Amino acid sequence: MSIFEYNGSAVVAMVGKNCFAIASDRRLGVQLQTIATDFQRISKIHDKLFIALSGLATDAQTLYQRLVFRHKLYQLREERDMKPETFASLVSALLYEKRFGPYFCQPVIAGLGDEDKPFICTMDCIGAKELAKDFVVSGTASESLYGACEAMFKPDMEPEDLFETISQALLASVDRDCLSGWGGHVYLV
Amino acid sequence: MTKQHANWSPYDNNGGSCVAIAGADYCVIAADTRMSTGYNILTRDYSKISQLADKSVMASSGFQADVKALQKVLSARHLIYQHQHNKQMSCPAMAQLLSNTLYYKRFFPYYAFNVLGGLDSEGKGCVFTYDAVGSYERVGYSSQGSGSTLIMPFLDNQLKSPSPLLLPAKDAVTPLSEAEAVDLVKTVFASATERDIYTGDKVEIVILNASGIRREYMDLRKD
Repeated sequence: MSIFEYNGSAVVAMVGKNCFAIASDRRLGVQLQTIATDFQRISKIHDKLFIALSGLATDAQTLYQRLVFRHKLYQLREERDMKPETFASLVSALLYEKRFGPYFCQPVIAGLGDEDKPFICTMDCIGAKELAKDFVVSGTASESLYGACEAMFKPDMEPEDLFETISQALLASVDRDCLSGWGGHVYLV
Repeated sequence: MTKQHANWSPYDNNGGSCVAIAGADYCVIAADTRMSTGYNILTRDYSKISQLADKSVMASSGFQADVKALQKVLSARHLIYQHQHNKQMSCPAMAQLLSNTLYYKRFFPYYAFNVLGGLDSEGKGCVFTYDAVGSYERVGYSSQGSGSTLIMPFLDNQLKSPSPLLLPAKDAVTPLSEAEAVDLVKTVFASATERDIYTGDKVEIVILNASGIRREYMDLRKD
């Protein structure tokens, strides 16, 4: 079993009309045993910026702590919140620092930038950014999520529609992956 | 001395995706027409679907040489059946034959991932899904091949097959009409083509119903 499949995870983010949604499953496992069914994978950086880390849970938690630290310092120095694009570059840089001994996580970042324009991106474990205009996926259920999102996504969805779509896509995909599931958390901003 | 391993493999994966959906009085079987090896495309126009009997159609992805051999074996066995019983094989009978044929080569398998679709003896749609060594199950819908992980969750969401463990046993066939099922298949292949590099070019859709057999083609992205 690969190190990325040790804990199991499913994360997806989608862009709507002046809004975004980010969703994750709730299972935390150790290989085939389920340890928790209410694990939080999505964390708030500030009111309009969320990050979800799939992959190894311990690395996800450590990386999250480092990112919160860096963002708090930024807030003190700049007296404002970080823009999502800037934050994405920060995450990318932090991950590449560990190029030859990486954090085994794949982050999904979602936020509202200038004029509330939605921004989503994902990265591999060494910080290669992938910006998308529609949706991004990550985790053990990523292939299933690609299929479900590709079929269900429509551009410029209203928040209620977007919530429904991302929830259905997540639920359908994790039902076909034994390492993720046990419900989902959805944040709609 | 550590065990010596072969420096070649008898298998190759020619990619592709197959889908089948069973309806109340029809069955839709579809597969893309791309044949690839590694990152290269061998042809954009290869049919992965084969009609084994009057009311049985098989779509197979995986190693097409093994698929071709499997189709030949099944055709021959069906011909013998026709000579001995003076009738065509029913779809459930063909399903069992396919399972046995695959398990016969349990220790040097056919690298073929099959879905068998057709009409059972009552005229209802039936779909059987297989693994490479013949484990099979009758289901309401299924997909196999490189795009199956992308396609299956969406089919689950749209077709909501009841659990086979429910009592009383609920019908696995979908309440969708034939036209709706064909539309669903087209949508599903368009989505799979976007994200799976081995799926694309064209999708061949075969529709089996009481009036006979019909074939449709739809163009897909060629990249």
